Amino acid sequence: MHNIDPISKLYYILFAIIIPIILPSFIVSVICVALSVLLLLAAKVIRKTLPVYSFVFLVLITVIVIQGLFRPGNETILFHLGPFAMHKEGLLFALTIVLRVTNIVSAFMLLVLTTKPSDLVESLVRRGMSPRIGYVIVSVFQIIPEMMSTMSTIMDAQRSRGMETEGKLLVRMKAFIPLLAPVVLGSLINTKERAMALEVRGFNSRNPKTYLNEEKTYSYSKWIQVAMLLVTIFAVAWRVFL
Amino acid sequence: MKKIVVDGLKYKYPLSEALALQDISFEIEEGEFIGIIGKNSVGKSTLCQALVGLVPHFYKGAYGGKVLVDGLEVRNHSIADISRKVGMVFQNPFTQVTGSKMTVYEEIAFGLENSGLPREEMRQRIDEVLRLMRIEHVKDHSPFDLSGGQMQRMAIASIMAMKPDILVLDEPTSQLDPAGSEEVFQAIQDFSQQGITVIMAEHKMEKIAQYCNRVLLLHEGRLVDFDTAEKIFSREDLKDYGVTAPVYTRVCRALGVKKQGCDGYPVTLEDAELALRRSFA
Repeated sequence: MHNIDPISKLYYILFAIIIPIILPSFIVSVICVALSVLLLLAAKVIRKTLPVYSFVFLVLITVIVIQGLFRPGNETILFHLGPFAMHKEGLLFALTIVLRVTNIVSAFMLLVLTTKPSDLVESLVRRGMSPRIGYVIVSVFQIIPEMMSTMSTIMDAQRSRGMETEGKLLVRMKAFIPLLAPVVLGSLINTKERAMALEVRGFNSRNPKTYLNEEKTYSYSKWIQVAMLLVTIFAVAWRVFL
Repeated sequence: MKKIVVDGLKYKYPLSEALALQDISFEIEEGEFIGIIGKNSVGKSTLCQALVGLVPHFYKGAYGGKVLVDGLEVRNHSIADISRKVGMVFQNPFTQVTGSKMTVYEEIAFGLENSGLPREEMRQRIDEVLRLMRIEHVKDHSPFDLSGGQMQRMAIASIMAMKPDILVLDEPTSQLDPAGSEEVFQAIQDFSQQGITVIMAEHKMEKIAQYCNRVLLLHEGRLVDFDTAEKIFSREDLKDYGVTAPVYTRVCRALGVKKQGCDGYPVTLEDAELALRRSFA
């Protein structure tokens, strides 16, 4: 999984979203989810997906409850929850939503958890994405941790001058306010200086860019993409003719 | 050949009342090593930035006069065009890290990728500057994990790899210990001897005196003097400009020992030793 072209993974996200839209049946959605989960298992990143899934399911449970109880058009009562009645129509509708969301989330995680952000951006820039946007995306991953460490340095400095930064929530919140000015102003100044440093290294040059690293050759990229395209065409044909 | 011609340069930052640079004119020959001195906030950085086009293109603001680098008029060319001729290293090494590269090696490649160099040539140049700046051993580290001194050397290496004809350095050794800054000065001198024109703003007067052909003294946005280190550091009014002469010059001045064959005081250890030995022999 880690050795698959990031672009193919992007197509896969598109594929996983489109197929259940073309063929809106439970079985197709279930197959899509199962495929993504199998791929995540094969990539050995399933453990990292658990926090994301648990958060998503927390939201989805509220969807199930609300739709089951209150969806307009609810008729068939399945069972009672205290004074409220759970309805079949609402639950089925909630199930579609759950499948769609799980499907999209799984497809995205397949990309995010198995690709270095810099690899993804580099392949996109090679395919014509603006290097400026690429720079913004990649630098965020390095500069945010930098800002966090600046923040903890400033906090240490303030603590060493006797400010209380630990304890009750109110104390912590108060300690946060004097942090804002140095951190925000500091990062604005840093951004200006960094922009100048980028300028003098020809960042806005109109010359065609070259790359230090050779473009990675991924095996099967073409086959994967062709296979997905064929399945999509087949799905459309199925929808139209059957 | 005149490499840099500055003629009547005036500049005012936007939102500021006072002129940051007032009517500055000078010329620099190819291959010279020039030091810019003056106390803090007299326009040293602004002047450096005017040579690479950051003034006025990056800041905007009011601009007058003319700056020609290698025949290009700065005002009419983009920073990207000028950056192929003039490289600039800034004071703060932390903000010069691009933040989009994972290793020192790739970091140095950033400028080369932008200028569209073929891969082979890139690798060759990067290996060369890594060796020159003595940071080969950290080439696979993350740029943010380096020490201040290593980061500063990486910043210089990133610019040097672009092989500019003119190198502008704004206090490039502020984070380095004495041994480290000596190494950097040596490396810059190597470049200078290859015929690259070097302009450096710096507070370490001993180093300026030792390495620079000529010294440019700035005060409150004006050019006070532009001459050899001996002439500049022998000025009686140096204190008025907030500049302290190298310690050798001060010793010789206190003892009244002038450099042989010229009207000024010695500015380097070697000259001072020579002059003192001669006068006390």
